[in-house]
Amino acid sequence: MASNPMQQFTVHRIGPEIKIAGIDLSFTNASLFMVISAAVIILFLFIGSKEKKIIPNKLQLIAELFYTFVAKMISDTAGSKAKPYFPFIFSLFMFVLFCNMIGMLPYSFTVTSHIIVTLIMALFIFIAVTIIGFIKHGFKYLSIFVPSGVPTVLLPLITIIEIISYLSRPVSLSVRLFANMMAGHTMLKVFGGFVVSLGILGGWLPLGFSVALTGLEILVAFLQAYVFAILTCIYLNDALNLHH
Amino acid sequence: MKRYLRLLIALVATNTDLFAAEAGMPQLDPTYWASQAFWLILVFSILYISILKFYLPKIKDNLDNRENKIKEDLENANKFKDQSEAKAKEYESILEKAKKEVLKIHFESKIILDKDIKSKKESMEKEIEKEILKAQKEILELKKNSISSIQNISESIASNIIENISGDKLNESSIKATVDDITKKNINKYL
Repeated sequence: MASNPMQQFTVHRIGPEIKIAGIDLSFTNASLFMVISAAVIILFLFIGSKEKKIIPNKLQLIAELFYTFVAKMISDTAGSKAKPYFPFIFSLFMFVLFCNMIGMLPYSFTVTSHIIVTLIMALFIFIAVTIIGFIKHGFKYLSIFVPSGVPTVLLPLITIIEIISYLSRPVSLSVRLFANMMAGHTMLKVFGGFVVSLGILGGWLPLGFSVALTGLEILVAFLQAYVFAILTCIYLNDALNLHH
Repeated sequence: MKRYLRLLIALVATNTDLFAAEAGMPQLDPTYWASQAFWLILVFSILYISILKFYLPKIKDNLDNRENKIKEDLENANKFKDQSEAKAKEYESILEKAKKEVLKIHFESKIILDKDIKSKKESMEKEIEKEILKAQKEILELKKNSISSIQNISESIASNIIENISGDKLNESSIKATVDDITKKNINKYL
């Protein structure tokens, strides 16, 4: 069983079974790692913002770097109108990043490698962005599906394509993150399995691959969190600043 | 390369039970979907609220503080620089003024001194002239006096000589007349 690379993704219940209205809401290992990620973020931010020094110490500097990094990302992609959504995007980026990074630890669980988790986040973003768009622009928001400067003959086709691409946003957003995390961890597990099965003579090559992949996966973990946050910003930008 | 790849795939297949029935994707098992959704929403909401309420304002405050401090310091530095430049200018202008004053004082004092020297010289010259005149007068007086006394002396000498030579006492008035006559004849030689 241990050599099954998908086994690391199984969710199992921890503690008592919690059932509300016939729905199983038990605390699982996935929930545990969500709590751990959130706790690590809160602890990190707590220490990082505890001392208000003019010259920051290391943790304060990192916290401030995260802040300015996300702030710059939002102002670059969505402009100044997106400022009220900064806390949400900051939380989202931190949560995805820390879930990904904590998932890189051996024997841990990667929350973001589950399609349901990423899909809920992506759907929430999709629905929220759509609602924001309709609140800000009313029915004019539908003009997002009708790009300007398109020949009239092509317009119906383009509109259909635009609607499909708009509706597929939550799918692409969630599957991108989920598939990246799952593939990376599966690969690590497969190469880890090779090290064991090829033994002391042949195991060195997959071990090297494993080390290299770990580095790559850390990069991917950061990159996917960044991509997730920046795509949210781009969708938000579409809703806030109609320029079709 | 191809052979190696085939070997790799075979190894993956045999070693990892990839084709086994239970090796599906646990992600697609809906048993715990509701639980994951519930816990995700709960945890993320708590995280979002705590970040929104506590941590972001704190970090923002701190960043603003630092920016303000830097701005303030820069402003102060600029102010002090301006002040120091103004002071340096002031100092230079004072120095310039002082130099001008020195020149002026120097010039004025020179004029005063020249005047003083001139007036002193003039008065001195006048005095000297006066003294010279006085001395000349005195000399003239003395000369005149000396003539009368010379006359007397020569009269007495003449009477004595005559007395000694002839043994007679001549009439004094005649001697006097003779001497007078001679003096009048020769006086212009000495005066």
